[in-house]
Amino acid sequence: MTGDEQFKQEVLRLAGAEVLTCIQCGTCSASCPTANLMDPSIRKLIKLCLEGKKEEALHNETLWLCTSCLLCTVRCPRGIRPKAVVSALKDIAEREGLRSKDADYEQFFLKQIKDYGRIAELALTGEFLLVFPQGAVQSMKMGLELLPKGKISMEIEKIKGRDEVKRIVEELRRE
Amino acid sequence: MKLAYYPGCVSKSTGKEMDASTRAVCAALEIELQELDDWNCCGATHVSNELVATGLAARNMAQTDLPIMTACSICYSNLRAAAMRLEEPKILKRVNAVLDKKYSGSIVRHALDVILETLVEDDERMVVPLKELKVAPYYGCLLTRPTGIYSPEFPTILEELIKRLQAEPVDFRLKTFCCGGPIFMPQEKAADDIAFRILSDAKNAGAEVIVTVCPLCHLMLDAKQKTLEQKMGEKIGIPVLYVTQLVGIALGLGPDELGLEMNSVSPMAMMEKVYERMAEGA
Repeated sequence: MTGDEQFKQEVLRLAGAEVLTCIQCGTCSASCPTANLMDPSIRKLIKLCLEGKKEEALHNETLWLCTSCLLCTVRCPRGIRPKAVVSALKDIAEREGLRSKDADYEQFFLKQIKDYGRIAELALTGEFLLVFPQGAVQSMKMGLELLPKGKISMEIEKIKGRDEVKRIVEELRRE
Repeated sequence: MKLAYYPGCVSKSTGKEMDASTRAVCAALEIELQELDDWNCCGATHVSNELVATGLAARNMAQTDLPIMTACSICYSNLRAAAMRLEEPKILKRVNAVLDKKYSGSIVRHALDVILETLVEDDERMVVPLKELKVAPYYGCLLTRPTGIYSPEFPTILEELIKRLQAEPVDFRLKTFCCGGPIFMPQEKAADDIAFRILSDAKNAGAEVIVTVCPLCHLMLDAKQKTLEQKMGEKIGIPVLYVTQLVGIALGLGPDELGLEMNSVSPMAMMEKVYERMAEGA
């Protein structure tokens, strides 16, 4: 199997073999709330996967502009889940160690789940700002809004079943 | 009625008023909540591996034999999606192999649906009628998706509840349009643009208040409203309440119990109008 074919098969394994039935109608792109900022569009992204064009499919902003709203998924006339294709590509990107501010954010999120079992928003924001200082203005504004309302928790809550959660994250990810 | 309650991570921080109002309303309606033992994060929209997401949800669901209620649409969607995947024997086996307590099926409910079932028409517990109050029913995405319970394109359960509270749902075109919340940290511009469209649409529809069923939608429309107004150069000034807060007001619960002081856009002017209309009607 060529590298291209291997990549395609991995996407199909993760997102479902029905991706093969895509007719490129563009309903997914037309439904997407962030489509105007995407290049490639979600329709094109699926095409790239089916053509085995790994580099182009993995290195783009499209993956990170998906809000997981699932509108593409409820509308696809072929019963494909375009959001699952995006998730599959993110999963592959993570495994291959692809770095970007967006990929890092997801990694920090998953690491908190693994370490604590829950999300501590303040610590997550702090960690993210270290790799993306440009986000500081937005975070500061949000902080000024939430702090007086008592909605920023300084505590990191850790659950008892952390080992079990860690096992879920690590073992279920293996093929 | 007795239910297991899954508060979700935001109940400890940005969604404190969601948690407070959910507990207060359920107590008032005699819905007994038993907090899920040692619950973990559902993964929100940030766990890209579906099997891992399924496992995280399954661990939560395996903690109880009771039906599980949550007030967060993201948790709700994730638990429901996982329960559907776990019907596949191969997935069930794989997931149960890593769980301490084994998963064997679960019923997942959103607080909205539990409340609507409990609150009857002209319920005498509704001591504050919300007559003439124009409410924008904002569903967002994940209450209705994945599909199976409500229409993902044109749900009406929120309108039903609003009417039961004697308020008036406004015609709100963007009611199921995404708020952009899941990407607001790394993709600020994209998220801000779509959140503002929703606020603008609610304003044009004549809403006096927007109700939400998701803490991330709430964050985008309430906590960010002032910033968005400044950025876009347009005043919105519409309070955004969790559906449980709106129900709590109708049940005559106090601002403290409902966490109304924690909302960024103060609902107090709206509350005054409600009381004025009530006095006029009396």
